[in-house]
Amino acid sequence: MMQYGMYIDQNRCTGCFACVVACKDWHDVPAGPANWISIKTTEKGRYPNLFVAFLPTTCYHCITPACVLACPVEAVTKRAEDGIVTVDQDACLGKTDCGQCLEACSYDAPQFEAGEDAKMQKCDLCIDRWAEGKKPVCVMACPMQALDAGPLDELKEKRGGARETEGFTYDETLAPSILYKPKKNPYNP
Amino acid sequence: MTEKHPDYKDKIVHTVCNSHCGGTCDFKVHVREGKIIRIESVPEENGRPSMCLRGHAYRQRVYSPDRLLHPQKRTGPRGSGEFTRISWDEALDTIADEMKRIKTVYGNASLLHFCSMCDPHLLHHVLAFHSLLCSFGGYTAPWGYISCEAYAFAKGVTFGKSSKLRYSGHTPEEYLESRLIIMWGWNPATTEMGSNMSLSLARAREKGARIIAVDPRHTDSAAAFSDEWIPIKPGTDAAVMLAMVYVIIKENLQDQHFIDRYTAGFDKFKDYVLGLEDGVAKTPQWAEAIGGVQAATIADLARDYACEKSAILGSSFGPGRSAFGEEYHRVAAALEAITGKVKREQYAPTVKDFGLLPPFPFPPNKVEEGAPPRWNAVPSRGPSVNSSARVNVSSLTDAILKGKAGGYPADYKFMWLSNNNYLNQLGNINKAIEAFNKLEFILVTEQFMTATARFADIVLPVCTFLERWDIMPAMDVFSTKRSDFTILNKAIEPLGESKSQLEICQALALKLGIAGYPDQTDEELVRQMVAIASETKKSKSEEASKKEASISQEPQLRTPSGKIELSSGIAEKMNHPQIPAVPKYIETWESLNDPLADKYPLQLITPHFKRRAHSQFDNLPWLRELQVQAISINSRDAEARGIQADDMVRVFNDRGEVRIPARVTERIMPGVVAVPQGGWYSPDENGIDYGGSANVLTSNVISPGGSFVSNTALVQIEKVGK
Repeated sequence: MMQYGMYIDQNRCTGCFACVVACKDWHDVPAGPANWISIKTTEKGRYPNLFVAFLPTTCYHCITPACVLACPVEAVTKRAEDGIVTVDQDACLGKTDCGQCLEACSYDAPQFEAGEDAKMQKCDLCIDRWAEGKKPVCVMACPMQALDAGPLDELKEKRGGARETEGFTYDETLAPSILYKPKKNPYNP
Repeated sequence: MTEKHPDYKDKIVHTVCNSHCGGTCDFKVHVREGKIIRIESVPEENGRPSMCLRGHAYRQRVYSPDRLLHPQKRTGPRGSGEFTRISWDEALDTIADEMKRIKTVYGNASLLHFCSMCDPHLLHHVLAFHSLLCSFGGYTAPWGYISCEAYAFAKGVTFGKSSKLRYSGHTPEEYLESRLIIMWGWNPATTEMGSNMSLSLARAREKGARIIAVDPRHTDSAAAFSDEWIPIKPGTDAAVMLAMVYVIIKENLQDQHFIDRYTAGFDKFKDYVLGLEDGVAKTPQWAEAIGGVQAATIADLARDYACEKSAILGSSFGPGRSAFGEEYHRVAAALEAITGKVKREQYAPTVKDFGLLPPFPFPPNKVEEGAPPRWNAVPSRGPSVNSSARVNVSSLTDAILKGKAGGYPADYKFMWLSNNNYLNQLGNINKAIEAFNKLEFILVTEQFMTATARFADIVLPVCTFLERWDIMPAMDVFSTKRSDFTILNKAIEPLGESKSQLEICQALALKLGIAGYPDQTDEELVRQMVAIASETKKSKSEEASKKEASISQEPQLRTPSGKIELSSGIAEKMNHPQIPAVPKYIETWESLNDPLADKYPLQLITPHFKRRAHSQFDNLPWLRELQVQAISINSRDAEARGIQADDMVRVFNDRGEVRIPARVTERIMPGVVAVPQGGWYSPDENGIDYGGSANVLTSNVISPGGSFVSNTALVQIEKVGK
């Protein structure tokens, strides 16, 4: 089965938020709690010996997605052709009435806007852009060229990469489709 | 919702971002049925997209519910924000009548106009206003770059007029080839998002370059790129750099060939550094006591910098925005010169080279006619900027308050502010309010009801750059666009009744009875300018390619000695103790040795913020949710005050008070606090600001060379509860 995923060079990320806002603009996601991609900042150490790392976090379109298994109405599905996990908002029961996907996901990938009837939304790896021959908007917006996306085995071959990095732990059960060039913490090698 | 089967046919409009970062990033604007639906980045030649978070949020700016769409007339007291909608005709008639009345009663010098400089475009910018006002008989213009007057001063006194020599401002390509990079007060990950500077730094590091950050803050650039962070007290940069010079001279690490051939005054500078002039040797131990950087660290940095041929001192404008910031830039230039690291600028074509000057009439500004140069005029800044009829941009409020009686060239009665948010962005907001209240008439042309606009008598609604045509000349600062020109295509019609700056000037020209002001549309003018530019472009490009980027190609410099001046003849002639002939360390006012430090023991700095370009973009929801406007304070200083993360604190000094949350962090030096500049001033009835506007706390006293001292201010902080 084909599996699409992402590659992130954490050493390159400056926490500039270009990916975050590009995603909101492209997918028309209003300001608020729903973020298909966000930046996690890790700060360690005491003045003046510090280690700081930024990391874009999103949905990892897991090989065994807990959200798909958890959804009682099959609103969340994993596409056979590319392994991208998508949500049918019309079928979704919403965060208040259900919220099972969010509970099941180790990575808080399912996103909800504020309000009682908010339906699940999340990163779909820009299915619409792939259809036009373009990579996801976050990848194309990154001024540091820190991100890449595509078939995971191709990414692995082209980029190499590790399963874990500062701020991310690999979940064996879910098998997230993500590769990293990790940023090394000199104080905790 | 995502469209899974896109079958839409959008219009794609290419333009260039026009914001006050100076980034000039390419925009691919998707327009559907006359409305912008999204804005996409465009990869540059090297594949890098040049568009930041603010560019991606621009759609929210265009369609913000807060956009001013109609002319507004003030109905309440100044600053109250009480306005009523009026027609364009009434607005323009009122403005024209007031301009004529004030001109007749007080003279043209009483008319102030300020247009900030960094929106890089030609038709809707300072030239349009300048032409109109000169045609009206003249006006008082300010002088002084808010961002970098200290740098301009230092460059002018060291390298002379029209020099192509440069220091600082190295190109991304040069960083890529460097083995040792010192980011001195420089945070490109935040301040230069439009260029490929950050990418070059990351790549240089990947190739093995060592990168050191010298900064009171552990910036995001320090986090992303540096191997080492050297914290330094604000205002002491010149001292620490002088100690580096001391080590280099003592250990004979200077490039004597370069010094002998290209510089003048080395011996005099050396005498000062070694202590022969004033009895104080500028040793690393001396600098440690001042700047808080360990002597051994300074000595190592000096040796490494001097001995690595490819080393780059990336000295930013930030530390120059300080009392005696001129000296910091001058010492930085000297450090580069004595180690032979000064380079020649790559040829950068000018607006004139390409025939890109808009066809406005440019009569001389009569207000400046016959006025002698300022005492601190640097020839490189040109006769108009140097005219004593001008007022320093930071001193405008003082000039309004004191006028002729206070030694200023005129009494000021009318002010037109365009393309800027003066009240919010210059020092000492409470003093500015006092000054604004004294004026007889204030005109503000704006997109939003900013702090400045709230004080206007009439606010005219200006459209965004996506709603008009313009043209941008080649730029070599921040931007990667160094050739030719770029057309800013209009994407949509202006919203509401908003008009472009040019249309406003054209309409006022009619009301003021000014003949000869161009009446073509911006699109027609752009086409006309492009036609002229295309003819001159080819020959100029050929000429440019023949010029080599080598110092040996530099003709004699236009300094008094014809060389790089380590002892400046221009500075010496000013005969001012705080503008010495050789670059020196001069202790700032409001330093920690100031008696005022007993009351206000923390040094405030006011750096840039990712989600804003100065005060621009502060009101956009997509951006506001990304970063909290808070004061950064070291955990030790916070603990001493019983302050915990996110506590609401009052930050205050004799100039005012701001209440914002505390960001308790290890990433700032103890004794230093930082409020990102540009937060929108939002006072309560007692004048306490809740918008986190840093300039409530900063001063508008200028440094002797004209620098805005936004990083020289003492404050105290107290907890006020959650």
